[in-house]
Amino acid sequence: MTPKNYLFEMIRSELAWAVGDDHVQTNEADRLGHSIDYYWVPECWHDRGQKPTPPDFVVHPGSAREVAEVLKIANTHKIPVIPWGGGSGSQGGALPIYGGIVLDMKRMNKVLEIDPVSMTVTAEVGINTQHLEWQVEKAGYSTMHFPASIACATLGGFIAHRGTGVLSTKYGKIEDMIMSLEVVTPTGEIINTLPVPRHASGPALTELYLGSEGTLGVVTKAVMKIHPVPESRKFHAFLFKTMHDAMTAGARIMTSRLRPCVIRLYDEPETAKLIKRVLGIDRKGAYLVFGFDGPEKIVDLELEEACKICRAQEHEDLGTEAGQTWWDHRYKFFYPPYMFHLPQAFGTLDTVATFANIEKVYWAMKNVVQDNFPQATFIGHFSHWYDWGCMLYARFIIDEPPQDPGEAVALYNRIWDMAIRAAIREGGVINEHHGVGLKLGRIMRDLYGPAFKVLEDIKRTLDPNNIMNPGKMGFPGKGA
Amino acid sequence: MHIENHLDVINACRFCFMCRHLDPVGNVTFREADTPRGRALVADRIRMDRAELANADFIDAFYRSALSAANRFHCVSHYDETGLALAARRDIVEAGLAPERVKALARALEKAVFAVTGKGQTLYFGGTPALYPGCKVITGGDPGKALEILGFADAAKNVLARFSKAVAASKCKTLVVAEPSSYDFLKDRLPGVKVVHCAEFLLPSAVKTRRTRKAVYLESDILRNYCGNPSAPRQLLQKAGFTLVPFGTNDEESHAVGEGAVVYDALNPELSDKLCARVYALAADVGKALFITASASVRDTLRKHNPKFDIATLEEALSS
Repeated sequence: MTPKNYLFEMIRSELAWAVGDDHVQTNEADRLGHSIDYYWVPECWHDRGQKPTPPDFVVHPGSAREVAEVLKIANTHKIPVIPWGGGSGSQGGALPIYGGIVLDMKRMNKVLEIDPVSMTVTAEVGINTQHLEWQVEKAGYSTMHFPASIACATLGGFIAHRGTGVLSTKYGKIEDMIMSLEVVTPTGEIINTLPVPRHASGPALTELYLGSEGTLGVVTKAVMKIHPVPESRKFHAFLFKTMHDAMTAGARIMTSRLRPCVIRLYDEPETAKLIKRVLGIDRKGAYLVFGFDGPEKIVDLELEEACKICRAQEHEDLGTEAGQTWWDHRYKFFYPPYMFHLPQAFGTLDTVATFANIEKVYWAMKNVVQDNFPQATFIGHFSHWYDWGCMLYARFIIDEPPQDPGEAVALYNRIWDMAIRAAIREGGVINEHHGVGLKLGRIMRDLYGPAFKVLEDIKRTLDPNNIMNPGKMGFPGKGA
Repeated sequence: MHIENHLDVINACRFCFMCRHLDPVGNVTFREADTPRGRALVADRIRMDRAELANADFIDAFYRSALSAANRFHCVSHYDETGLALAARRDIVEAGLAPERVKALARALEKAVFAVTGKGQTLYFGGTPALYPGCKVITGGDPGKALEILGFADAAKNVLARFSKAVAASKCKTLVVAEPSSYDFLKDRLPGVKVVHCAEFLLPSAVKTRRTRKAVYLESDILRNYCGNPSAPRQLLQKAGFTLVPFGTNDEESHAVGEGAVVYDALNPELSDKLCARVYALAADVGKALFITASASVRDTLRKHNPKFDIATLEEALSS
């Protein structure tokens, strides 16, 4: 479709009627902005002078009803609809790979209610999560949702990709924080899931939409838990001779059922590279930091118990200051020039597994990358710890990938294919909080096995015209 | 092209989302092109293909920017995204591609003529001369900042030269400037003349002359984010008997309705209206507090879009 085509103007007019003329963009600057998200492939494409596919229309709906109208128009014309929050997803989930309508949700940005009795906030999901946190803080509470992308992403983006924040070990991932959702189905009905997340009234419909990446409908409103601001939050850091020693200590903290709000463990290469560069802590070994929050007396007790566990291993005690420094600079890792950047090739192979498997996953991925791609550096850290395991935030970096964009992307995909399949063989699940998007769609059949057909059947039933974000999550592309 | 002098910014910002929550225009239009990332992507596309400089949508993206430096202030590496936008505007103007509304504004600004009146050793440049007895007063309009931010660098130099000549003729060695944009523009460009902001000048002699009143000090984008966040305006108001109450939900966002772009309301009245609407909505939280701004242009913009909005400049608040 081109702006010169009269069908283009017919559809634009319909969309403008639905949401208002001011909220339908077709200009090139906006379309360029929506042709690239935080996925390395379109970034590389642009960097090498190519033009990633832009949407035909960028639509900013102002209500669930307007979303419903847009979806009905899209069904009539069988045009793809790609929901877009902050655009900071790393998996290509928001890319308009077939053109169509990008449904930019940021106009739906209101906090509708803060319920101090039940400790919940109700908000439209286009709200930027830093803005949401600021508004909740003004009322005297906190969402306790502090992802690195807090300033970039929207609440809907986190819901779509099962995102998480740095305090997930105590406060949970987004799926633990959400109470209920309002959703517009692909055919334009507005529905609400049950108001509480614990019940025995059939399968959890809320769960169906958490992580659905805009393929099963458009989430428009969410009720989310909020928390009192803790009286105290304290950190402590240790350095261990090996990653295995640090992992043993971290796992013991979790399996002893202490309740840290955060644990993070950096392998030896990442400690040498990033901890030195960002925090200025120049040591050999594996850096482990953890924190507790809540009433100060409880924090002190739990912190001391966790320190005792660490001191049982061979260690260097870096103290509270090195822990606090990490917390104070926790977002700095993600700003340029500290973050990896083009022309480098880089990817995050985030994987979650049980404590029994997580180190096997780490070594399987590392060996595959090092043995097959000598030009790549493999580093990793372990974040988002649970009672039963944790997440490996593994990364590969190639400083000088091929100049040709096709060759660069092919190399990038080969690394993913081999590393991820190695992780799956060792019991890893891809992935923990970035989502699937375009990047990992081809892995979904391997990951789910025969169960993927269940997801495909749900998709086909809910979205008969396959308008919702086609080609993502391993679901069929446009025209398939 | 001037944008090529900002390659570090293009490379850092084109794929970075970390400050988007602070772009005042992006926060009211919700458009990707109205974020530092969006503008850096556009600049990068122009860098790759110079013919794209003529793309009207790309030109519009740079002139829609409010040039708030809140983003640069927030960035841990302080990449100069506003500098990139200004460089792009210069490229647009020098290629003869400035939109007609920009050219019309520039033509009006180029006509500025400056005159000095009164007696004294100190020269005052602002809208409340009654506060400065014993000072000479210079009048005549914007001293070149507005032209500079529109991309007309040579015309800005010509106007500045006329302003400098008038200052030199006054023989004053101290210039007190009220408008933050003018202060920012002049502070390092008048050799032999000490340029001070009016709050800094008034602070030593300020006294409490009125009963205590609640007020919101609407932070100046230019003073806070371009000029190192001087404390003088807040100190001055407190000394004069104002109890300052917090505004909004945070101290990072700029609510200065296009102050960084100096002539934003004249250039983009519809966007300016949206920026103002956001301030009015947040103002509901602070009841009947007086709003005080360092900038007469911010005052005028907020009053224009809502004549009932209770706002005064720093100097008006002191003299009322």
